[in-house]
Amino acid sequence: MNNDDPTIRSQHVEFTYDGAVEPAVHDTSLAVEPGECVVLCGASGCGKTTYTRIINALVPSFFHGAFSGRQYTCGLDTAGISIDQLTPLVGSVFQNPKTQYFNANTTDELAFPAENMGYTPEEINRRIGEVCERFGIAHLMDRSIFRLSGGQKQRIAMAAAVVLSPKLVVLDEPTSNLDAAAIADMRQMIEELKAQGMTVVIAEHRLAWLNGVADRYVVFDGGRIVQDYAAEEFLSLGAGCIAAMGLRALDLEPYRAKIRLLDQPVESSDAVVRTRGLRIGYRGREAFARPVPDMAFHAGQIVGVMGGNGCGKSTLVRTLTGLIEPLAGAVELHGKPAKPHDLTRAGFMVMQDVNYQLFSDGVRDELLIGLDDTNPQIVDQANKVLASLDLAPFAERHPMSLSGGQKQRVAIASALMSGKEFIVLDEPTSGLDRFHMEQVGRLLRQLADQGKAIAVVTHDEELAAGWCDRIINLERSL
Amino acid sequence: MTKQTPNAMPQQPTVEATTPSTGRAKLATADLITIGVFTALYFVMVCVATLASTLFTGGFGSIFLPAIAALISGCVWMLMVARTGKFGGITVMGVVIGLFLFVSGHFMLSFVASIVFPVIADLIARIGHYKNKALLLVSYVVFSYGLTGPILPLWFMKDAYVASLEARGKDAAYIDGVFANINTGTFFLSMGAILVCAVIGGWFGQRMMRKHFIKAGIA
Amino acid sequence: MNSVCGRIRNLDPRTKLVLLILANLMLFFHVAVSTQAVMVVLFLLPLVAAGRWRMALKFAVVYAVLTALGFLDPEFLGMPWLHVVSALAVGANMMLPCFITGAYAFSTTSPSAFICAMRRIHMPEAVVIPCVVVIRFFPTVAQDYRQIRAAMALRGIASGGWGMLRHPAQSLEYILIPLLMNATNVAQDLSVAALTKGLGRAGAHTSRTRIHMTPIDWLTIVVCTVPLALDIAGVI
Repeated sequence: MNNDDPTIRSQHVEFTYDGAVEPAVHDTSLAVEPGECVVLCGASGCGKTTYTRIINALVPSFFHGAFSGRQYTCGLDTAGISIDQLTPLVGSVFQNPKTQYFNANTTDELAFPAENMGYTPEEINRRIGEVCERFGIAHLMDRSIFRLSGGQKQRIAMAAAVVLSPKLVVLDEPTSNLDAAAIADMRQMIEELKAQGMTVVIAEHRLAWLNGVADRYVVFDGGRIVQDYAAEEFLSLGAGCIAAMGLRALDLEPYRAKIRLLDQPVESSDAVVRTRGLRIGYRGREAFARPVPDMAFHAGQIVGVMGGNGCGKSTLVRTLTGLIEPLAGAVELHGKPAKPHDLTRAGFMVMQDVNYQLFSDGVRDELLIGLDDTNPQIVDQANKVLASLDLAPFAERHPMSLSGGQKQRVAIASALMSGKEFIVLDEPTSGLDRFHMEQVGRLLRQLADQGKAIAVVTHDEELAAGWCDRIINLERSL
Repeated sequence: MTKQTPNAMPQQPTVEATTPSTGRAKLATADLITIGVFTALYFVMVCVATLASTLFTGGFGSIFLPAIAALISGCVWMLMVARTGKFGGITVMGVVIGLFLFVSGHFMLSFVASIVFPVIADLIARIGHYKNKALLLVSYVVFSYGLTGPILPLWFMKDAYVASLEARGKDAAYIDGVFANINTGTFFLSMGAILVCAVIGGWFGQRMMRKHFIKAGIA
Repeated sequence: MNSVCGRIRNLDPRTKLVLLILANLMLFFHVAVSTQAVMVVLFLLPLVAAGRWRMALKFAVVYAVLTALGFLDPEFLGMPWLHVVSALAVGANMMLPCFITGAYAFSTTSPSAFICAMRRIHMPEAVVIPCVVVIRFFPTVAQDYRQIRAAMALRGIASGGWGMLRHPAQSLEYILIPLLMNATNVAQDLSVAALTKGLGRAGAHTSRTRIHMTPIDWLTIVVCTVPLALDIAGVI
């Protein structure tokens, strides 16, 4: 390959997944020059993820379907090679930090690509040392990956992707599960790659963190490239224009300012759930404990629980829903001290991975678990709940065949059905585009208007500023 | 499933990790990873069965270990076969389980059992191209006997056991008394239990396949 | 686990394999009590050397107690029911060397050393790859299980141990279905990540972990083989 040749050259590529009717990517042509940093953006389902798979040859060698057109990555025609030939040329980072590492140990994970290439132990260790120094992750070496935070896992994934010094790094929504500090680390790593002269392609919803790093923004819609902006051009677009394209905000500062305003304690009575002198944490091997300021959750209000990873957000909401016992202090339900058991009965949590909380083989059946499904009144109520959450057309479908957002709504529907009054959502908007984020926001408002007390654990500034009535920042009140 | 749905988020098409199964293709790397994930789950089931078996039947409880494992692992096995659908998948699962059992200090014969039975199970399932329900059930029953390895010494090491008892000065009458408990009767009881439990477990697994995984478009 | 000092005091995985086989051979050829005692002591030494002296001590105590029980004469003590205990003890004692060497192999071998050793003894990739995945995925199942139990508690489904026992098939379904759905997703994500990192590449795969047979390894093998061989030959 010539040094002047584009790193990526797509000529009329088109791909339809097996079993799908519509192509995921339509007649797309693009060239990316060496050293460029290109952001692929657009709403969910616009084809950007599929396009990254075309670039790194996962399409068509792993994801099967009908592929046409020509794709040259680092000078190789991806139709004519096995995916292994791209290993030393292209590094890939994926969305979910929990499922993209192959080894249980961090150093093994970094060694993994080099071991597969058959390098000598000396060479492998030299490369690991080099990457550690470049990214400042030496302190993460020789540890169990299971015990790292999501942000640390994603840094390891980044390092593993570049350990072979590839020409191109392809990232598919790498920050969807990360907090602000971890995203800042990601940005630093991308800057480092650029300084090395690597070509970087990032498919992303969240755009603000890439300001000043990206050279080019390519906007996808309906499987096609609709716009191709130089960075200055794109960044000068108005916020309204960005929103109209269904993209997330380019500047988070207004949202952060609003969040600071919302971060005020309130004095009032008749809270659904209230804490007094609460101390949360775990005993035993992974001991962790911290006091939390007294807080209250009222019917009709949406409270955002924010703060960086590891400040105890999940521990707090697990305590509030009675899944774990408080170390000290009390949680009150309607002004009366409540046992964990009572809290579990009154509260509900929509987990970040909602797949764990759907048990039935049909959406309506999911709502009727534990209830008498021969009672027409109950079935009628279930149908009403489904209709109110736009789930009526899916009543007979298997919950696992639905999209992420629909699954979330099924879980919420099950909570409404059993008359829960305190509903917690854990990171409901991770990986969502603007449209779906706003859909979640409207859903929260709808639930609050029905008289539920809502708590939402989130890193998403746009959701928090746009839809929360109050913010509790656990990091600040430490 | 055929219903046209006004879906807000475009459906991520179900992705087949492998080429369409004919029962002839070679295992690809992705298949091996799938097998690994389901083997880990099967191993968890074996651990649960060990625990349950020890709780319910005490010291010699492990004679019902393969039966209990067979009862609860049907779903795991059926989904693994549906996701790979190639010759070798069942064999590899058995070999890996045998390897881990051996390395964790189980009797060496368990390794032999966990190769021989899965290979036969694999051959049976292949006749039906990994689709025929009845053959899959038979295959699962045969596979379940692969776990008899850890308990085989109870019967086949009888000579060594008798010798050990003699070495400790136990008399013949005493030894006969001991073997009143560990006789061929318990052997057939244990083997029969595996048959019954594997049929029930396999049937339950196939029911779950229809109810959930096929309906959700995963298998 | 596999730090530099660990490498010095730790035996090669292949030596551990030999110890496992020796322990199994003790079952085939019923060895004398004295040989068994010598072998158990020899098997415990590497555990001590690896710093697992607490585990070694436990095994030693268990072995001593079981041996003592095996020699009890219930008739003499006038407690006939002890026969059962005594016979069980003899049986358990026969299995103990396997468990000791197994515990040693399991607790002192890092996954990478294990994988490297498997490749060295020319185990096919079709076995090596699933083994790596088992090591990677097995620990996460417990986390998944806890999540599912929490979700069940929030829904009021089969909460508490009794709830599960009342409807066993139903509970099994509620636990297994999310577990398997998640496993299917993980399998796909892992495949994608591993393929881009060249796992499917033909040709030799190396390892950063260096394993080699040292004189200590050979010495261990010889010292552990001799008593067994002498016993089998009928010298002891």
